[in-house]
Amino acid sequence: MYRYDEFDAALVRERVEEFRDQVARRASGALTEDQFKPLRLMNGVYLQLHAYMLRVAVPYGTMDSRQMRRLAHIARTYDKGYGHFTTRTNIQYNWPALTDLPAILEDLASVEMHAIQTSGNCIRNVTTDVFAGAADDEIEDPRPWCEILRQWSTIHPEFSFLPRKFKVAVIGGPNDRAAIRTHDVGLEIVGRDGNDTLFRVFVGGGQGRLPHIGKEIATDVRGTELLAYLTAILRAYNLLGRRDNIHKARIKILVESLGIEAFRAEVDRQFETLRDEDLRLPQAEVERIRAYFAPPAFETLDGSSGAFDRAVLADPDFARWNRNNVRRHRQPGYASAVISLKGLGEVPGDITDTQMEVVADLAERYSFDEVRAAYEQNLVLPHVKLDDLPSVWRALLAAGLATPNADLATDVIACPGLDYCSLANARSIPVAQALSKRLADLDYQERVGPVRINMSGCINACGHHHVGHIGVLGVDRKGEEYYQITVGGSPDEQAALGQIVGRSLPSEAVAPAIQRALDRYLEIREDGERFIDTVRRVGHEPFGEAIYEGLDAAV
Amino acid sequence: MRLFEHGEIGPQTRRLTASTPLDQVEAAASDGAPIMIEFEAFRDGRGFSLATILRERGFSGSLIATGDLLPDQARHLMRSGFDAVQLRPGDDPAAWRRMLEAFSVVYQPAFDAAVPAWTSRGKSLRRPSNAPPIDEGTTLGRRAAELNAALRDADPLTVLRTVLDPRQGLRVAALSSFGAEAAVLLDLLARAGPSTPVIFLETGQHFLQTLSYRTTLSKRLGLTDVRIVVPDAEERADLDPREDLWRTDPDACCDLRKVRPLARAAAGFDALITGRKRYQSGTRARLRVIEALDGKLRINPLANWSADRIATYRAERDLPGHPLADQGYASIGCWPCTRPIEDGEDSRAGRWSGVDKVECGIHLGRRRAAA
Repeated sequence: MYRYDEFDAALVRERVEEFRDQVARRASGALTEDQFKPLRLMNGVYLQLHAYMLRVAVPYGTMDSRQMRRLAHIARTYDKGYGHFTTRTNIQYNWPALTDLPAILEDLASVEMHAIQTSGNCIRNVTTDVFAGAADDEIEDPRPWCEILRQWSTIHPEFSFLPRKFKVAVIGGPNDRAAIRTHDVGLEIVGRDGNDTLFRVFVGGGQGRLPHIGKEIATDVRGTELLAYLTAILRAYNLLGRRDNIHKARIKILVESLGIEAFRAEVDRQFETLRDEDLRLPQAEVERIRAYFAPPAFETLDGSSGAFDRAVLADPDFARWNRNNVRRHRQPGYASAVISLKGLGEVPGDITDTQMEVVADLAERYSFDEVRAAYEQNLVLPHVKLDDLPSVWRALLAAGLATPNADLATDVIACPGLDYCSLANARSIPVAQALSKRLADLDYQERVGPVRINMSGCINACGHHHVGHIGVLGVDRKGEEYYQITVGGSPDEQAALGQIVGRSLPSEAVAPAIQRALDRYLEIREDGERFIDTVRRVGHEPFGEAIYEGLDAAV
Repeated sequence: MRLFEHGEIGPQTRRLTASTPLDQVEAAASDGAPIMIEFEAFRDGRGFSLATILRERGFSGSLIATGDLLPDQARHLMRSGFDAVQLRPGDDPAAWRRMLEAFSVVYQPAFDAAVPAWTSRGKSLRRPSNAPPIDEGTTLGRRAAELNAALRDADPLTVLRTVLDPRQGLRVAALSSFGAEAAVLLDLLARAGPSTPVIFLETGQHFLQTLSYRTTLSKRLGLTDVRIVVPDAEERADLDPREDLWRTDPDACCDLRKVRPLARAAAGFDALITGRKRYQSGTRARLRVIEALDGKLRINPLANWSADRIATYRAERDLPGHPLADQGYASIGCWPCTRPIEDGEDSRAGRWSGVDKVECGIHLGRRRAAA
């Protein structure tokens, strides 16, 4: 894991002091709310429906136990005893007092964390594959590049007042577990040339009101030129992106309106005149940062474990959790364990302070002191010995964290919705909870297999509904909450936007309609097909029919 | 970067808005006449790219920003290549100046003098020393004695210029607390070699005034390599989880926050410049200009100077004082262990007042600090 040196530590501290100065100027009236707003947003502070919300960055989703314990401490001390993990691998606190914010930021700084650029029209927290450094299909660990981008984008003099927010995701191999094609820029490591890493670059992806799948702009940008190439992209966007209409200000609209060829030409033109020698990272610095992400000291194991095998045979509940929540690891004898934050009828992504403490303990004891936040709003212990999995599971079970539903129908991604968010048109949490209760039967969920269901409370699409295999979007219909359903979206390397299947439904009709769609899949699937495979084969129409089956035309 | 309110705009200055297309901005800048870019809305960041591009393409004329801007954008403007800002009536220049100095660290190369962290890191990477380890008893001691004989009565600037002379073959850094008397040494250092690394031990317990003084003074003097050195996070979590070790064991606290970090930060250097003076306290009364300590030279250019001489120099050079000096703080360390002094006390009497401790340990050497 990356550790701050004196430069990182000083910058974060100075950022807290800067924010204190800004808060004081807001209090004295020297700053108007209109002027203060973008400044507080760039420190993660939102004003929501009921209170301020603080969004803390978890850079590329990686934490150690000390940081997780500090997040628990903040939840306990300054909030109502819980936090909410987001679809950008950050954590949000929904109830901090404005006056506590500088103290919280100081608490974060003391464990090398911050809330810098978790909001605002700037380059946001960089996200990556939750299994980075553990997956067996990875060309190179993407996290050193994420850290390089974190530093380069922090308080960037040229790109802190962009037309709109700017999100970057990086993956280390061909299988996309970070939804890079739905980001403003997606980076995929495709190989190496000597010492240099090669990146395929996607641009102009994004969700929200006008969703777009990112387009390939370059096939092999060298690591040494990555910062210069990104500078060229951002410069073209900063100068040409629309600023007259907030809904058309993202780079996706610029790329769409120019066309990818013309946009590429514009980027190339900017790239030509860049002083890229300044932006060329010293190789020693790349190596210094890489060294922080060196694999932990794995034991040499033969890949089988008696303790694990006995537990699978002895305990069907452990066996089920293992089937659904444990992922293959590149190191023989190890696995990655998904900690579902989607308990039956619970709020997706929420976790209490005591649960955070349990996760911190487990990470420290069993996972080389590492825990990851997944964009699916779950946590992951990346490096657990098979021998230890039964103990980890028992501890998770005792803490209410062993729901064996990772990637199944009740592993719902949902934004906070109208329960918290001032942008929302409709609640998403109660709909997700209703679905979770309706589909609670784990045998049924396992029969259905992997399916991604996403819910957003408004068109801003924080719940990624456009790329859910089944997406649910809350809309306001004459003051009533209604829900529009899409089918066939996908966030992965075959990224696609879901198709709207018909008119929107009232909230109580959503869960039964989704179950009918899943039932239809069970009827028509062919051997070995996942839900999304069947949709790709037959189209969304059979599912649309199932969704509206038995609903009278009046709804 | 200059801040001004009135006038100063010559007739040849070209006025453009931040929404002007790049090719028109470049055309306007083609003959090097001053360019003024007006921001129509502070949220509209196009002007930052325009300035950066002009500078990258070689524009060397004056670039002035004006319009709807916040003090919080001062550094963005400066770093993007603007060299002046025309403030609007009602803008608070003090806030602008504060925000200009809000950060000592930058992560990106830009058009100001700041060195990006990745470059500083490259410099401070521990280079394996080719020289054989110095035997303190003989080689280093002899070197110190020779230098001391030559520089015993030299004025501080001569001392500094001598040790910084590349022919000496010394890797030299300075140590400063940015305390009440720091300005004199640092001004002399800036005259002798402004790029000399200056190590500041960021204990995490400094007065905020010290931190802001550090930025102000570094900028004012043009020091280009002030390095902020923090305690090891793990050690701190182990030894002082509640951040109150100073209450129970100030020696251990100094050891954690100063002695150990300095040992790490000084690893690549052969000589450390300090600002210690003989008059400061009993423990410093026999201080020599050059000493050998823990395998390094200690250079004390101000050892001979009296309090009066220090005061005269400060006045002659019009050096800004530490904000707390006016409140009776004669020597300034961490806030929990520093108090103002009374008339007649020696200047370090306000340090660790009430406990049997007069030095933090960074000037004592391993053997005595451990005792």
